[in-house]
This record gives sequence, structure tokens and C-alpha cells, in this order.
Amino acid sequence: MIQIQGLTKRFGRKVAVANLSFDVEPGRVTGFLGPNGSGKSTTMRCMLGLDRPEVGTTLFDGKTYSQLEQPLHAVGALLDAGYVHPGRSARNHLRWLAASNGLPAKRTDEVLDLVGLGDVKTKRVKTYSLGMRQRLGLAGVLLGDPQTVILDEPGNGLDPEGIRWIRDVLVHLAGQGKTVLVSSHLLSEMALMANSLVVIGKGQLIEQCTVDQFVERFGDHSVRVRSPRIANLVEPLRAGGAVVEYLDDTAVSVRNATAPEIGELAARYQIALYELSDQTGSLEDAFLKATASVQEYQGGAW
Amino acid sequence: MVIRTIRSEWIKIRTVRMNTVLAIIAIAFPLIVVILTAALGSAESASARDLVGLTTGSSVLTAMLIGVIGAAGITGEFGFNTIRPTFAATPNRWKVIGAKAIVTTVVALVVEALVVILAYSIGAAILRNRGAVIDLGTAGDGATAAMYGIVLFAAIVSLLGFGLGLLTRSTPAAVAILILWPLLAELIIAGVLSVAGVDNAFKWMPYQAGANLGNPDAGIESDSLGRVAGGLYFFAVTSAIVVLGSLSTSRRDA
Repeated sequence: MIQIQGLTKRFGRKVAVANLSFDVEPGRVTGFLGPNGSGKSTTMRCMLGLDRPEVGTTLFDGKTYSQLEQPLHAVGALLDAGYVHPGRSARNHLRWLAASNGLPAKRTDEVLDLVGLGDVKTKRVKTYSLGMRQRLGLAGVLLGDPQTVILDEPGNGLDPEGIRWIRDVLVHLAGQGKTVLVSSHLLSEMALMANSLVVIGKGQLIEQCTVDQFVERFGDHSVRVRSPRIANLVEPLRAGGAVVEYLDDTAVSVRNATAPEIGELAARYQIALYELSDQTGSLEDAFLKATASVQEYQGGAW
Repeated sequence: MVIRTIRSEWIKIRTVRMNTVLAIIAIAFPLIVVILTAALGSAESASARDLVGLTTGSSVLTAMLIGVIGAAGITGEFGFNTIRPTFAATPNRWKVIGAKAIVTTVVALVVEALVVILAYSIGAAILRNRGAVIDLGTAGDGATAAMYGIVLFAAIVSLLGFGLGLLTRSTPAAVAILILWPLLAELIIAGVLSVAGVDNAFKWMPYQAGANLGNPDAGIESDSLGRVAGGLYFFAVTSAIVVLGSLSTSRRDA
């Protein structure tokens, strides 16, 4: 379990992380979301003691990171796949990591086989694609078989097969009871693998909840109704306070009314329905809505 | 345990090709100079003291190149951001800095000792083959001490490179300072101080003082700090730079 308590980090006068507190439970994948510049990477660096926070602590199963005698056995972190000397081979990169925490050299071959780099382990990293570097980074995470796994944008540069693979790995690790914290901008991926979410904006906590609760709270919910006599249903729906929007000649999207209410109304007016379905908003919609006021960088309309 | 960190740092230093290339040049250059001089120079007037001077003088370049390895050992970590996984794997930064300093120093000692032994032995063999009498026992005061001294000098220069790397976090900056310091900065500073009326300013220049370690004639001139005092002075200045760099590295964000 990770417990972050009152973390604050400034860069000069800019507050990157402001009194941030949240817990990450074991046995589940927790997505760490926030717009660009929201402080996710800074938070992760502070968690590992790489950046020095002004105040605040991070506990990994009750211990601060600096109290971990051999951290790779407890916490595996991949902050950036580019944190590797391009002139070293993947094997040598992992060998110095392994040696620093008393892990045997043969463990490096095991994890390289595990991430699919066994055949190219002696090649220098500068010949690797970004996706291969991500796999190497994940090999470093798995090196000490840690209880806690922290990944910052692990899907960057991966092809669809690679993205699916990393999702399966993280879900598998969570299934083993490990604590998994992963940040990603691939919200569709996050929706598939995360059980819980920690959403931050401008360094502050916006929400910590399950994915379903988040989408429920911030997502756009509507009911799609299709009928050959849809026009006859629109008037009573609007009279009842529903917001109706035409999708085409035979279908509408209805807000402020539930599917049962619409079904009852249609029955009362003897209108046959061809479709009556709840439309749940996507995680992406919910995320954009939740973080609309804290977007650091926004593009213009196209 | 610090031994694990030392093992890790040893793997790092020997798995970067640039370090291997620099070490080969550092060993080859003085050997080539000594071999060519012994083979082509005058054998009749050659003495063991001259050979010691040639060996220690030409292996100053070895010390400088080892200093570059020392600097790059830390600046490369910042340049490629591998300092982050390094500190994530070993959160005690002093342990990492200490292990790097130990590995850098040991590499410097071994490489420079190898150079001195090989250069002197090969040079002596060539000169003897050409009829010269080369006997270290008759080389006079300071000859043997200079051979030990140049090895210590290389170790200090490697630490200086390391310390400059800790402070600057940049390979070009650290290497430029390491090279320009003895070649330019000390000459300018000593010149300015002399003009300002400071007596013997040159002897207080740290690198020049340290270079006495490998000079068979150190201490003979009255305007020199001598081998031991000069070496200790250079080591003290270098240690101060390493400590400042270490404090900075331990406190700053990685």
C-alpha cells in the first residue's frame, strides 16, 4: 500500500504539487490521471525521493522510500524509458541495477526473456525503438519482484500488441496482490485496466474513487430512444422536464429522464420503441469534464 | 551494503565504450612516447633519472584522461538521466557518491600504475639493449618517489574530474574546466597575482603544486611546495571540490 500525505513541491515560485494526499490500495490497478503539467511526474519523483518535497511523506507499506534497504525488492518504478545509457546493452543496464540491490546476474536474463527482449539483450540500447525501451524499463521494474509497481506513461511508443501486453501484465500483477500505480494519457486503456483512479489537476487532488464512480459523477449520461413515431414522444418528454436532442429522424438522445421513465411514458402513449438504451459517458469525457478548470495547456478549437 | 553499490558502479564504468577507449589511449600514449624516445634518442647520455622523468612526464596525459573518465562517470548519469534509476535503486546518495569515488580512484591507481610500470620497464629494456646503463637504484633522490607520486597524482586528478562533474553536472563543462584549469586558469591567476605583488604565486596554484608528486626534481627549487606538501595541498583542494559537489548532489533534485 502507498500512502501519500500532504505532499508539496515547488519549483521556484511555481507550486507543482500542493498538499497532495491519497492512498493506493494493493490488489488493484490505480490509474493516476491529470492534464499535462498537473504534477503527476513530479509526484512520482517525490514519492521515490528523487525530487525533494518541501513537506509531505510517502509510505510504502509503512516505510519511507529511503528506509528501504534494497528498494528494488519493494518498489519497482519506471518513470521514463529514456533513463538509460544508449551505449550500454540492455543486459548490462539491468546488471548494474541488479548488482546495486544484491540481485543475481541471472535474474536480468529472466526478466529480459519475460518482457520479450531475450534475443536482443546484448544489443546496445541506442538501437532500440521506444517500444523496446519501454519493455526494458518494465524489465527493470520486475527485476526485484517488488510488492509495489509505479509506472509513468508505460504505453508511450508501444504498438497495439505492446499496449495490450502491458495492460495484461499490470492486471496480472494487481491480481497477485501487488500495489500498482500507473499514469497514462491513454484513457481508453485506463478504462480497461484500472480499478481505481486518482485524478489531480494543478498539483491538487480532484478525485479519488473507482473508475465507475468517476464516470458516474463526471460522465455524460443519456438515454437513446428510437421509434418510428419518435416525434410523438418528444413533446411529453420535454413537458416532463427532459432535455431531448434529435440524433436522426427516428432517434433522440434524452437527458434528465431514466430509461424506465421513458419506457413508461412510451407505453402510456402507445408508442412502439425500437431502442431504449442507457448511454454511459466515457472515461475520457468524464476526465475532460473533471479537469476542465485545471487544464494547464489548452489547444484552440479546430 | 556499500560493496553492492561499488559492484554496481564498477559494472557501469566498464560497460561504457568511451571509458574503454579513453583508458586505451591513456595507457598507449605514454608507452608510445617512451618507446619512441628510448628507441630513437641518444642512448649514451640516457640515465635512469631521465627515464623516470620521461615516464612520469608523459603519463600526465594518462592522469588527465582518467580525470575525464572520472568526470563522465557522474556527468553521464545526469546527461542520460540514469542518475534517477541510480538513486531510486540506492536512495542513500552518499553511498552512491562514495562508491563512484572509490571506483574512479581505484581505476586511476591501477591504470596509472600499469602505465608507469610498463613505460619504465619497456623504456629501460630498450635503452639497456642499446648499451645504456639504467639502474633505478642510481637514479638519485626523488626518482622512485616520483613514480609512486604520479600514480597518486592520477588518482587525485580523477577525483578532481569527479568533483567537477558533481558540481557542473555537464560533461563539456567538467572536461573543459579540468583541461583549462592547469593549461590556462592557473597561469592567468598566478600571473595576475604576481603583477599584484604576491610572491611565489605560482607555487600556490593547486594543480601545479600537485604536479610535484610526479616530478623527480620536486622540492629542489625553492619556489615549489615540494612533493608531499604540494600533493597534500592539491588533494585538499580537490577534496573540497568533491565535498561541495557531493553536498550539492545530495540536496538537489535528481
